[in-house]
Formats: sequence, structure tokens, C-alpha cells
Amino acid sequence: MILLPALGTVFAVVTIPFFIVVIQSITADDGSLVGLRNFSRALSNPLLYDALRATGVYALLVLPTEIFLGLAFALFVHRTVRRPGLRAAIYVLAILPLVVPPVAIGVVARLIYAPGYGVLNVILERLGVMHQEILWLGDPNLAMFSVASVDIWQWTPFVYLVLFAGLQTVPKESVEAAQVDGATWWTQFRYIELFYLRPLFLLILFFRLADVIRVFDHVFILTGGGPGTSTQLLSLYLYRVEFKFFDGGQAAALAVAVLVTISLLYTLVTRVLPLERA
Amino acid sequence: MRRRSRTPTALLRIALTVVGLGIAGLLYGFPLYWLVVTSLKSKAELFASTIHLLPHNPTLAAYSSVLIDRGFWVLLKNSVIVCASTVLVTIVIGLIITYPITRLPVPVRLRVGVLNWALSLRFLPPIAVVIPYFAIVRTLQIYDQPIALIGIYSLFNLPFAIWMLKGFLAEIPLELEDAAQVDGANRWTAFWQVLLPLATPGILAAGIIIFTFAWSEFLFALILTATPNAQTFPVGVQGLVTQFEIIWNDMAAAGVIAMALPLALMVIARKYIVAGLTFGVIREK
Repeated sequence: MILLPALGTVFAVVTIPFFIVVIQSITADDGSLVGLRNFSRALSNPLLYDALRATGVYALLVLPTEIFLGLAFALFVHRTVRRPGLRAAIYVLAILPLVVPPVAIGVVARLIYAPGYGVLNVILERLGVMHQEILWLGDPNLAMFSVASVDIWQWTPFVYLVLFAGLQTVPKESVEAAQVDGATWWTQFRYIELFYLRPLFLLILFFRLADVIRVFDHVFILTGGGPGTSTQLLSLYLYRVEFKFFDGGQAAALAVAVLVTISLLYTLVTRVLPLERA
Repeated sequence: MRRRSRTPTALLRIALTVVGLGIAGLLYGFPLYWLVVTSLKSKAELFASTIHLLPHNPTLAAYSSVLIDRGFWVLLKNSVIVCASTVLVTIVIGLIITYPITRLPVPVRLRVGVLNWALSLRFLPPIAVVIPYFAIVRTLQIYDQPIALIGIYSLFNLPFAIWMLKGFLAEIPLELEDAAQVDGANRWTAFWQVLLPLATPGILAAGIIIFTFAWSEFLFALILTATPNAQTFPVGVQGLVTQFEIIWNDMAAAGVIAMALPLALMVIARKYIVAGLTFGVIREK
């Protein structure tokens, strides 16, 4: 039995860091026990609430947009594109954004939004829509929009792929029966297709929510959390506390809090997910 | 029936297809187009007063500037070493864990437990564990060494490996190995000569996906490396972006290089990526 030692090793390697971070969270830098003082310092830091708000706004911008656009495009392709070759081509094109390194997408976004060289302003100016340079990355609200747009660009195809695959599992008979009964495309969606897609929405929400909490790369490249703290999402904030403020205790306390929240979320959601169990 | 393909509804459908796909194509194509065009610009053109949207005297100068003058080929080499090693380690450990749970009579609870545990790791936010890892890596004195990244990337990709390999192995009938064992092969030869060749396409796909994930990784590489000794390519790209004066064509060339390999690999492994990303909930057609 080679399984148990292998599992045991991996399990230990995974678990040890948790103990370390818990210990870090209740000690000061010199190693003395300070109880929950790190936690109270972390919770009383107003920057934490800026980060939580930024993360919440980001999630609210990104998740509904991705799900709506992904669903719209999945229904669109499902209803209008019939040729298998074209469907296959769309599939290949849709997986490509998913594997582009977020750092590289951050670079692309810079080329579009940056002041001076940013091509979006150039285009808007040539179209005659814009007369004064728009600071896509300099204005707090626009910066959040810019950062969110990158996420939407990269992950809407994922939503599309999952929902499109889901639409293919809808039995043809029930759709045809409904069409004979004169169902419009909306009733067909509302009463038949939605039923098959429902578990997939949960899956998407779950995976994407976990991703939003870990978003780091493209924001770091695009705005670095700025201007001010307007795009400083949770993971950028943690990074800053640990590696810019060098406040290890507070960072560890935050990390423990994030881990506990994630595991709660995880146990909650796995109960309703359609994961293959066997 | 064929002749009716010119009815107004069919025409409307074609028009809708063209418009819908056109918009999507523009939104996805143009940013990448602009990246490539910028990477082909010369330094002189960057300072021109008008910005050309079309390529204008394209040159590969930015690529040689990034790879040779800035020495990024070393980072590229680091990335390849780290990613290839990660794939190797992850697949081997993944097989050691998935072979028993798919081929041997293990208790169901152990099976489900292993799979659920692997899945839960997928939701671990890297930023929350980078703090203890930083401490561990410094204690082990492997800070700024490729081995630190290889270890951590292998750990973080193991859930994918386990779920994907489990799916592939489960599809290969047990009888084939049983037959080989009846013919006198031992378990090891049955694994090596019967199961492994059959599982190769799946293993390759899993390997490619893990390679691209490791290739894209940025946070751990940023924190656990400091010099070209271990820095990976994304860290180099970041250095070009956050410096005081951005050299646009160099930055764009670095972006093109960073995305070229994963895009090429993904065209090969295209059938498996969605199954991988959703832990087998969505299977390929």
C-alpha cells in the first residue's frame, strides 16, 4: 500500500502551514504570545473595510455581468449557430482567454486604458466622442470599472462554456413539444432550459466567488490597488500588510480569518453542488 | 427543406449570427491585436505624436530587447524548468494517489474523502497561505530557488491532477489489467504496459493544463523569488509594467511571449480544459 504514505505526506505538507499561520496569528514578531491582539488590530484597521468594500463592489460588478453575458451568448449560439464546424471553432476560441496569464492580460489592459498611450482614448477621440482625456486608471470609479472589465473579459467565456454545455443536455423532445405548443423563446428558456441550467449557475457562482477572493495578478499589474485604496481588493490588501507594512501578526490574523470564511463557504456550497461523488 | 434556407427567419438568423459573433470577435480580437501591433513598434515610433492603429514599419526589436538586452531569456528558462518539473511531480503524485482509489478495492469513504479533500484545496486562496509558506521557505533556506516554486505549484495543482486522472483512469475497463495479470504479469507490469499506454492521452492533457496554470502563476513567484536565479517570466513582465517609465513595445513583447506558449498548448489540449476547470462536472462532448 503506497497510497497511505503518499496521502499522509501530502496531507502533512498541506496541513502544517495552517498550524504555522494560526501560531503566527497569536504571537508577536518576537515570538511572545499576544492572544487575540493581532485579530483586534486587524479588525480595527479601517483599510480592511476599504478592502472588503472594494472586493464586494468588484464581485457585484463582475459576477452578474459574467453570468448574464455568458448566458446570453450561450443561448445565442445555441439558438442561431447550427453548423457544427462553427460551434467547434467558437469552443476553441472561447477556451483561449481562460489560459492567458492574468499578468499578460494586465499588460493588454494597460495598453488600452493607460493615459498617453492607451488606445481606448485614441479611438474615442478619433470617433469624436471624447474631447478631454479620460483617466481610466486615475479616477477611483473608472479604475474599478477598468479592473473589473479585465475579469469580465477573461471569465465570461468560462460561463459561456459551462452553460453552453448545459444547454446541450436539454432533451430535444421536451423543447420540440414546447415549440409545437407555441412556446416563445423566452418561455422555452424560462420553463425548460433554465431547469437544466440551475445547478450549473450554482457551480459557476461557487468557482467564480472563490476566484474573486483570490484575484491579485491583473489588478496588481493594472492599478496596484490604486488610486488610493479604490481597487485594493482583499488579496492585495493582505499582500500589502505582510510585505509592505511588514506586519506579520496582523497579516496572519487576516489570513486565518480568510481561511475560516472560505472553509465555511466551502462546506455550505458543496452540499448543494452537483459534483460527481462516485 | 434545404431550399427554405433563404426564408426571412433564416436570413435573420444568419444576420444575427454575423452581428453577434462580430461583436464578440471585436471585443476579444482587438485587445490582442493591439498587443501584437504595439510589440512590433520601434522605439522611435512610440514617441511619434500620432498613434498608428495599423502596423507601421514592423520590427522585432522589442523582442530582442526583452529577451537579450534585458536578459529575460533566463526567466523564460526558469519558467520552463519550474513548469516542467511541476508537471512531472504533480502527475507522479497524482497517479500514486489515483491509481489505488480507482483500481484497488479501497473503502468508499477513503475514496470520497480523498476526492473531497482535493476539491477543497482548489478553493484555498493563495494569499492566505503565502504567509506561512514564506516562513517555511526561509527556514528551509530555499528562498529564491526554483525548488520552492516547484513544491508549491505541485501542491496547488494536485487537486486538478487527482480529479482529472481519476476521471481518465475510471474510464479504462478493469478487465484489461485483470487479463494481463491472468497471463502472468504482476500488478506493476500490468500498470506499466497496459494501463499507462491507455491513459497516456489523458495524462498528457492533464500535464498540459497543469503546465499552463504553473506558467501563469504570479503571486508565489513574486513573493518567493528575488533574482533571475529563480524569477519566472510573469515576474519579469511585472517589472516592466511597474517601473517609472513604461517602454510600451517591450512590455507588449513580453506580454506576447507570456501568452504564446499557453495558447499554443491549449489548442492541443482543448478537449479537456473545461472538464479540468470544473472538476469533471462538465465533460467534453
